[in-house]
Amino acid sequence: MKAFEYATARSLDSAPQLATDNGHYFAGGNDLLGRMKDYITDAKILVNIKSLPGLDQIESGRDHWTLGALVTIAQIENHPGIKKVFPGLHEAAAEVGSQQIRNVATLGGNLAQHSRCWYYRHRDIVCLKKGGDTCYARHGDNRYHSLFTGNTCISPVVSNLGTALAALDATAIVRRSGKEARLSMSELYHRAWENPLAHNSLDPGDLILKVEIPTARGRSAYLQVSDKHAFDWALVSCAVAAQVSGGRLRRPRVALGCISPVPYQVEAANDFLDGKTLDEATVSKAADLVLANAQPLEFNGYKVPLAHALIRRALLKLKG
Amino acid sequence: MPSWPSETKYISHDVLRIDAPEKVSGRARYASDIQANGWLYGMILRSKWPAATITKINLEPALKIPGIKAAITVQDGERTIRFYGEELAAVAGATKQACLDALRAIQVEARPKPSFVVNEDIAKAQDAPRVWEDSPNTTTPQVHEHGDVDKAFGECAAVSEGFYTTPVQLHNAMETHGSTVSWTDDGVTAWASTQGIASVRDGLAGALRLDHSRVRAITEYMGGGFGAKFGAGVEGVLAARLSQAAKAPVRLMLTRFDEALAVGNRPSSFQRIKIGAKADGTLHAFQMDNYGTPGIGAGAATAGGGGAEIPAPYIYRVPNVRVKQVGVAVNAGSARAFRAPGRPPASFGIESALDDLATKMGMDPLELRLKNDPSEIRRREYKLGAEKFGWKQKYKKPGGSPGIVKTGVGCGGSEWGGGGSRYTQAEAQINPDGSVELRLGVQDIGTGTRTVIAVVAAEMLGLKPEQITVKVGDTQYPPGPGSGGSTTCASVSPTVYDVCNNALAELQKRTGVADARGDNWFAACKKLGVTPLVVQGKWQDGLSSSGTGGVQFAEVEVDTETGLVTVKKITAVHDCGLIVDKLTAESQINGGIIMGMGYALYEERVMDNLSGVVLNPNFETYKLPNIADVPDIDVILLNMPERGVIGIGEPATIPAAAAIGNAVANALGVRVGSLPITPAKVLAALGKVPKPVASAT
Amino acid sequence: MKKPEPEVFGAHSRRTFLKSLGTVAVTAAASRAQSVAAELEKVNGEQTVGPGPVPVTLNVNGKPLKLQLEPRVTLLDALRNYSSLTGAKEGCDRAACGACTVLLDNLPIYACQKLAIEAQGHEITTVEGLAKNGRLTKVQEAFVAKDATMCGYCTPGFVMSLTALLQKNPQPSADEVRHACAGNLCRCGTQPRVLEAALQAAGVAAARTTHTEVMDYA
Repeated sequence: MKAFEYATARSLDSAPQLATDNGHYFAGGNDLLGRMKDYITDAKILVNIKSLPGLDQIESGRDHWTLGALVTIAQIENHPGIKKVFPGLHEAAAEVGSQQIRNVATLGGNLAQHSRCWYYRHRDIVCLKKGGDTCYARHGDNRYHSLFTGNTCISPVVSNLGTALAALDATAIVRRSGKEARLSMSELYHRAWENPLAHNSLDPGDLILKVEIPTARGRSAYLQVSDKHAFDWALVSCAVAAQVSGGRLRRPRVALGCISPVPYQVEAANDFLDGKTLDEATVSKAADLVLANAQPLEFNGYKVPLAHALIRRALLKLKG
Repeated sequence: MPSWPSETKYISHDVLRIDAPEKVSGRARYASDIQANGWLYGMILRSKWPAATITKINLEPALKIPGIKAAITVQDGERTIRFYGEELAAVAGATKQACLDALRAIQVEARPKPSFVVNEDIAKAQDAPRVWEDSPNTTTPQVHEHGDVDKAFGECAAVSEGFYTTPVQLHNAMETHGSTVSWTDDGVTAWASTQGIASVRDGLAGALRLDHSRVRAITEYMGGGFGAKFGAGVEGVLAARLSQAAKAPVRLMLTRFDEALAVGNRPSSFQRIKIGAKADGTLHAFQMDNYGTPGIGAGAATAGGGGAEIPAPYIYRVPNVRVKQVGVAVNAGSARAFRAPGRPPASFGIESALDDLATKMGMDPLELRLKNDPSEIRRREYKLGAEKFGWKQKYKKPGGSPGIVKTGVGCGGSEWGGGGSRYTQAEAQINPDGSVELRLGVQDIGTGTRTVIAVVAAEMLGLKPEQITVKVGDTQYPPGPGSGGSTTCASVSPTVYDVCNNALAELQKRTGVADARGDNWFAACKKLGVTPLVVQGKWQDGLSSSGTGGVQFAEVEVDTETGLVTVKKITAVHDCGLIVDKLTAESQINGGIIMGMGYALYEERVMDNLSGVVLNPNFETYKLPNIADVPDIDVILLNMPERGVIGIGEPATIPAAAAIGNAVANALGVRVGSLPITPAKVLAALGKVPKPVASAT
Repeated sequence: MKKPEPEVFGAHSRRTFLKSLGTVAVTAAASRAQSVAAELEKVNGEQTVGPGPVPVTLNVNGKPLKLQLEPRVTLLDALRNYSSLTGAKEGCDRAACGACTVLLDNLPIYACQKLAIEAQGHEITTVEGLAKNGRLTKVQEAFVAKDATMCGYCTPGFVMSLTALLQKNPQPSADEVRHACAGNLCRCGTQPRVLEAALQAAGVAAARTTHTEVMDYA
């Protein structure tokens, strides 16, 4: 890790100013410090944003809940209201890293974390995502990589919360050039779909302030499968959410993690599920629709049947 | 002939680990905790090329970094680099941060070689880039043959063929390699994380051209080794040279990243096995073609074999055998001894082949083993274990488990040599106040060696283990063996027996007390007056043995839709002669099983063909089992006190992967022949994985 | 030959270490350390510090530890390299193994992925801070009783994770224990006995994880 300066921001106005000259916002620090230790990212200054007022609250509401960007993953996991209202978010939070990580990692940091691609994270490889000219994973060991991408880089988004929040149709509120911008989860990651250099759609200086989660989908679920049983990145994750009335799904959403640079959603699948009752044939058809355009590579084809199983199972969990 | 007491108070009982309070409180000082007066931080610069000629290394910019006290190269002049991570230079400085900056400041001029090879199959090809310029990557095949294999296969009622592969496994002890070394006019002292203090002393003395008497190695506590921590190591020698240059002690511990590159691994294996049996199940013919890589330490250039050979057909006796093995050099760090070298891959190969043969014959695989295992002890262990495990109730024909989540069971056996080192010596000091200090130049690497010494001494002297002060981990104590080969327990136990007997005899001579043990102890010691009694002892024949075995049963659940394997239960039956401390023996077996489980399901060093780097030099993608992965474990220790003491560390890890692999195959009805058995491989074996549609663009 | 012994105490040297403690009395109460940090924060406001060494005051095991550190120094490096508190171990330096687990305001965290400078103003507890007057805690005692240590390098981390768990949840289930220490790796294979030790410390009837018996061959 190279030497850097350090400052604590006290206001939303000063934070971006302090970070102007190759500065990075610093909250939980898990992702950033890891990158800096391996010289993937260097910073002239780290701007501690943990003292910014008002961003560490969980606020419940009738139509939506608001979670501050500085809320820790552990707070989300352990919040009884969230467990009840957004079980999928609770389940996604419980699978983030380990207890030690969840105690410091924040909602904002989880959403904004960089790719975990082992080429990107390798100190001695200059891959496409780091400004090089080759996606090593395409030619190399792509067991952990994407089935869908809009560009040459095949590293997937690995944010559990991003996946769960996509299914819940949450909105990230981002401070951008002194104003508040509202981004859906699709919008928050869209740039990574198109641009190999991007991990999300945030510009330098952008700061995630909070996330609004509509309560309209009363049922939600999240499932992931990793090589190990705990403290391991998902090979594939799946989040689903819907309103269920009279046994029928309303406004259902399915999102997949770890198989695309964005939380992967297919409108045709969501449309298909709308108004349906949950049975094996229906969820299987939905899974087919989600995975229709999968582009398996040499080592990640297993993610297709795995995702198929997770979609089916997660949807069936909505039965309650 | 000496013999162990038949009635014991501590031997074979549960005795708490005597140094556990130090460990749970943070008081135990590991090699990496040493803070010698005025110590400096040390770090190593490594090659970022897998193959290159280094033409020049400029250390000047590093020396200009504030706080840097020394910078040295590993070797002067032009040199050839053959793997990613080979050591180039080292620095010592007042802080870690200064060292980090200094490593980046060092200027390395190199001619990277355009071609290199890190994959076994590519390296084997005729036109492969050569790891050693003037000779092929493969060793001369080692062939072992007896009987008439071709004819014998014709005589078999059933023949099974399979391809079984195991990955390169990394030791990844929780404490990395390294030491603090202080080089002064008085000599060199190394506080090392080692399994062999004597090997560190001798290695440093050799490398630094010093008399052995001027080098001292100390290991009070160390954080695991598993075979990879013998000798001074490049890092130890660099720490010493840095200390000499900086005139201060240097603590140089490797990083976790470093640990994946240059300090050892278990070689891979690619075993093509053909095995045949007569109609009654008697094994009749066995053929194996195996290759594997021990890194750069293989190939025709390294005379004397590649180090990737495994014993085959391991524990079985087959009348007609042909085995051909080749070591393949690749541009990667060299192999080192790793907990039961050669055996876990051998066990996985042969036990998998056996189960596949049993399937072909419609036979219960346990029956096939009982029919063919030549060891009477192990056959007994199979029967005991099967009953405990419930094999009869649990075993179904392969794939016979209904539903999406299928259960399966499997088993396998192990065999290990062990035995004690006859050169082990000990010293006991009996003080007039009755306190006892035992000094042995061995080290406790976490196996419980200190405790074993205390248990045996307490038993012999009629005292309690906590009344024995055990001093180990210093080359100034009487010589002892390195902790390898599961030999430490069988080395120290007879030695402590001897030194205690000598102490009792000498105590009788000096004090006239006929039997100073137990209740008489303090009165007898008081009669020593003001001069403590110091006596020597050495290893005695007849109190230990070699040759141990064990069997393990595994029960797994496999989710056939996600490919996830969950180990539900392991039942292990092992013999280790006379059990010294039941508690620590069981811990060793638990540990062996869990390490074998990592080998079965999670662990694999991954190399990148294009760049030549290790892709997973970390705990994020080099996956170790954690508490959520660990199953219920039943252990049966088969007590055989008449055999004396035998070590248990290695035999316990050998059959776990084989048993788990067989249980997965039993659950699925198809074989996953490649470790680690990941969800990806399970789904592939089930034929569920679509072909790649996108080519590399 | 002279018998060189490691210093019991002290980072780069006993002298520099003592000097780094400055004038703050080592016996000062925890609250005082926190107020020092708070003062510092107030004075500095949004001032940018570093990249060179800056004063950092850590409240460790109820005692202030006053150091001069670059902002990039982690809490783990501050403890291990600038004080004699080496109980928290370095296993990976990447928040992946748990050997460095300490409590920050009673929550277990990885000290290797926390900057020392941002740990100011918080109560830090290391494994050395658990036993009071040399008396082991229930968790520590259970680790001894169940032989939950082997090489012992991962042990302090497990002990910290479980200490925090039992503070929060005095009667955890086996699965809750697994969830709480999935972030701690052990290479020797103590996991089954860590689980038993945790349940014993909690006074929960031990879920059976290992069962052992001795049978005579003869």
